[in-house]
Amino acid sequence: MGMQGGADHLQSEINVTPMVDIMLVLLIIFMVVTPFLQQGITVAIPRDLRNPDEDQAINKESSVIISVPKDNEYYMGKKKVNVEDLKAAVEKALANKKEEDKIVYIKSGIDVSYGEVVKVINAVREKGVDKIGLVADKKKGKAAAAPAG
Amino acid sequence: MAMGGGGNRAVPYINVTPLIDVLLVLLIIFMVVTPARPSRFKADIPTQRDPNEDVSNLKPNPLTLVVSISTDLQVKLNQEQMGSVNDPSALAAKLQQTFQQRKEQHAYKVGMETATNIPEDQRIEKTVFVKAPRALKYGDVVKVIDAIKGAGASPVGLQVDDLP
Repeated sequence: MGMQGGADHLQSEINVTPMVDIMLVLLIIFMVVTPFLQQGITVAIPRDLRNPDEDQAINKESSVIISVPKDNEYYMGKKKVNVEDLKAAVEKALANKKEEDKIVYIKSGIDVSYGEVVKVINAVREKGVDKIGLVADKKKGKAAAAPAG
Repeated sequence: MAMGGGGNRAVPYINVTPLIDVLLVLLIIFMVVTPARPSRFKADIPTQRDPNEDVSNLKPNPLTLVVSISTDLQVKLNQEQMGSVNDPSALAAKLQQTFQQRKEQHAYKVGMETATNIPEDQRIEKTVFVKAPRALKYGDVVKVIDAIKGAGASPVGLQVDDLP
């Protein structure tokens, strides 16, 4: 075909085809995996807040996350539960955790009434939990200069 | 180079460079978006109280700060009016000022007066309680918590008993 030039020429072209292959495969992997990485269900959590602390533990499989996407709808992880079952579920999930790790994350939608969140809090505090994490989205970019403490 | 073959032939060669450009950009976008770093506000909640416990001789702490929100989205610090949910800057400023004052007066947390091994900043009483009616939207409560946190309060406690 005359593509390679003469036999005495070195080939000076990079063969990009394998690279494209790898890129495509990586791209597809990321596209497929991304929706599964999200734990639990989709909740319209508060966005663009300035001062929440980052906490990688929220993504951990073992952490207890209660989601309240709408009034009167509670999910523990991905499973829908009602308030009565919530207590038992929380107790079970926290059973073999150390005392200082007993934190329950609450992912509540912004339009959910605060009373629903209070209901969840009331349920978990019966099980000896005194720390909760209110999951909120941090504003991208530099953090506000919050005083230490 | 004899790359194109003869002048009377079409070149059977795809230009892949723009394709790679697009793919790389897409890949980078996905890689950046995927580890959406989760964040949260830590809040303390009261543990279940023993109903038989005698609370009559418990003294209220004079340093207690309670931020209460009313149904019309007005914010109060203790009894003082402090702007609204959508503009909590007055609240944040007042809290910051209060904490600064306490630092000067060495108003420590109960039990932390002599704990000199802990940094000064963490010993100052900076506890703030949040009290909001049940009918309020969660988003508004979080906005106020954000402002309180921004002023340096820690820990933040949520009042869950006797809410309107």
